[in-house]
Amino acid sequence: MTLFGQILANGILLGGLYGLMALGMGLVWGVLNIVNLAHGAFIMLGGYAVYFLFTLAGIDPFLALPIAMVGMFCFGYLLQMFVLNFIVRSALLNTLLITFGFDVVFVYLAQLLFTADFRTINPTYSGSSVDLAGVTIPYSTAGAFLVAILLAGALYVFLDQTRTGRAIRATAQNLTAARLYGVNPRRIYALTFGVGAALAGAAGGLFGVVSQITPYIGITLTAKSFVIAILGGLDKPLGVIVGGLVLGIAEAMTDLYLGSTFKDIISFGLLVLILVARPAQLVGRA
Amino acid sequence: MRQTMIALAIAALAGSAQAQNGDTITLGASVQLTGRLANTGRYYGDGYALAIEQVNKKGGVSVGGKKYKLALQILDNQSDVNLSVRQYTQLLSENKVNFLLGPFASDFALSDSAVAEKNEVPMVQGGGASTQIFSRGFKYVFGTLPPADDYFSSTIQMLQKLDPKPKKFVLIAADDSFDVSVAKGTRKLLKEAGFDLVLDKEFRENNSEFSSLLSLAKSVNPDVILWAGHETEALNFIRQAKSLGVTPKMMYSFTVGVPTADFRSGLGKDAEYTFGMTPWLPSASLKDDYFGDAEQFNKMYVERFKYPPDYHAASAAADIEAFAKAISAAGSIEPKKVRDALAKVDFPSLYGRVKFAENGQIHLPQTVIQIQENKVVPVFADDFLHKPRYPMPAWNKR
Repeated sequence: MTLFGQILANGILLGGLYGLMALGMGLVWGVLNIVNLAHGAFIMLGGYAVYFLFTLAGIDPFLALPIAMVGMFCFGYLLQMFVLNFIVRSALLNTLLITFGFDVVFVYLAQLLFTADFRTINPTYSGSSVDLAGVTIPYSTAGAFLVAILLAGALYVFLDQTRTGRAIRATAQNLTAARLYGVNPRRIYALTFGVGAALAGAAGGLFGVVSQITPYIGITLTAKSFVIAILGGLDKPLGVIVGGLVLGIAEAMTDLYLGSTFKDIISFGLLVLILVARPAQLVGRA
Repeated sequence: MRQTMIALAIAALAGSAQAQNGDTITLGASVQLTGRLANTGRYYGDGYALAIEQVNKKGGVSVGGKKYKLALQILDNQSDVNLSVRQYTQLLSENKVNFLLGPFASDFALSDSAVAEKNEVPMVQGGGASTQIFSRGFKYVFGTLPPADDYFSSTIQMLQKLDPKPKKFVLIAADDSFDVSVAKGTRKLLKEAGFDLVLDKEFRENNSEFSSLLSLAKSVNPDVILWAGHETEALNFIRQAKSLGVTPKMMYSFTVGVPTADFRSGLGKDAEYTFGMTPWLPSASLKDDYFGDAEQFNKMYVERFKYPPDYHAASAAADIEAFAKAISAAGSIEPKKVRDALAKVDFPSLYGRVKFAENGQIHLPQTVIQIQENKVVPVFADDFLHKPRYPMPAWNKR
């Protein structure tokens, strides 16, 4: 029973981080209709930002997160403003191609600048844990989980309560009507993409604390985010977190009962199943 | 400006024409210069380059009284097996290289070596240890990594002599060609040694999440964890083991990663006590016709590339030397004759004694190593070389 409890806890904690990874991708996809294939590369860049803030400036990774997020926000904002805005309403294939191109460029630039060495963010508490009823909870993953929940909540409040947030949702729902009400879609798009990049950056920093960063981590993370965003519903932050939890728990249970070789089959099988059974996503967009 | 450009273009053309003329023998390889395996792939790119320079510095290779220089043609397979197979075909059909060198990692070598065999061009590869590569009856494929099945053999030998003697073993291995071979061999070795394998788990290659496997391992309370996979996964495993407070009672050992500098810098203090293995250590007792000895190879490598070599780089250098020796012994650059000469080479090198068995694979003993005080310390090879730190303390007692 403790084993089951431990593995469930592992799955939940990991699932929170998964949710955060997918949050930005879901938002951008929902509002801009861009499936950002460079999302994993953003996560990777955020990871390097936190890594360097930690190793060079000695800033605790959790405190470095906001700094990395601001940096990634500006980066995303500019990228959307000066590049992606020109193709945002064109065919899906075009946006896929250009974001794929960005992915390739960022990954190879990262290898040139940072080399292929493995980087780990190792604050002193990174290996410590607390025991709850026989279940070990590592501080670092628990911290990552909490940050993920907090950021998802903040995003929810932002989209639901603030003027800008409502403008973002309005743009997603009806572009013409939003324009008539004085919303500037180019600015809104850039803002949304910036927020998406900032969330990816936060996920990257946390990923570096629990795992490690190389220029190549992005590809698998993009694929995971894709699955989770579909599971959770695109612009529903809390749904995305639920999607992350579902995937995290499913993966952990696969490890326990089927063997970890089946992980990918389960997660992508889940995706196919959801698409067939409930095209309106797990939590629903209808 | 324009004239300079033209001059440059002519120079480049002349350069490429020279590479094709009769005085050079070109060795071709496709390695992981970028992509997820770039971190280990670089040992091959750099090891090949350094050894070729050194062979040329020592006068090159003489074939029937005529001196040839060696040249290297490297393509980047971006850590993609499919691309790598295409590139080997390209190396033979378009780049017209004379002989082939290998990529890193068994699953790559497994596919790529088929290109060599099909075209009847010898390949000496120092990156694939899986016995699968050498069990297909191929005639043109030679390997300088010792068989994957035996990776844990010296470790298990050592464990039989240690006090307290361990009993309960956990084996965790990735599902790629190399690690499947390691796991298969290790099961047999454990059985022969009379140790109990209480948990035997496979994980998906490129997996970065080990918390469930670690929790499972913890639940059986093992004495020893034997682990086979790639370096990046080893780092994740150890970090997550620490955060979940999982330690085997006696020790854990990893097939790869432990000898590299990267491993220690990635883990810091948490690398302490980790056991591993290497078929090569940069020792002055390994004499070499081109570099002097392994220590000097090590020194030249560090000076040139600014990071220390591990056994992958030494294995790569041995591949070049095997070709140099075989080509001069054959007195010809005809692929078939060089192949026959390779089957017969037997020489001491910076990497150890290079002599291929009937199936094309080398046999070298694995030295058990352990990280002690942030250094790679050789611990056991047939007998104890240094005192192992054993049993390893739990995370909260360090």
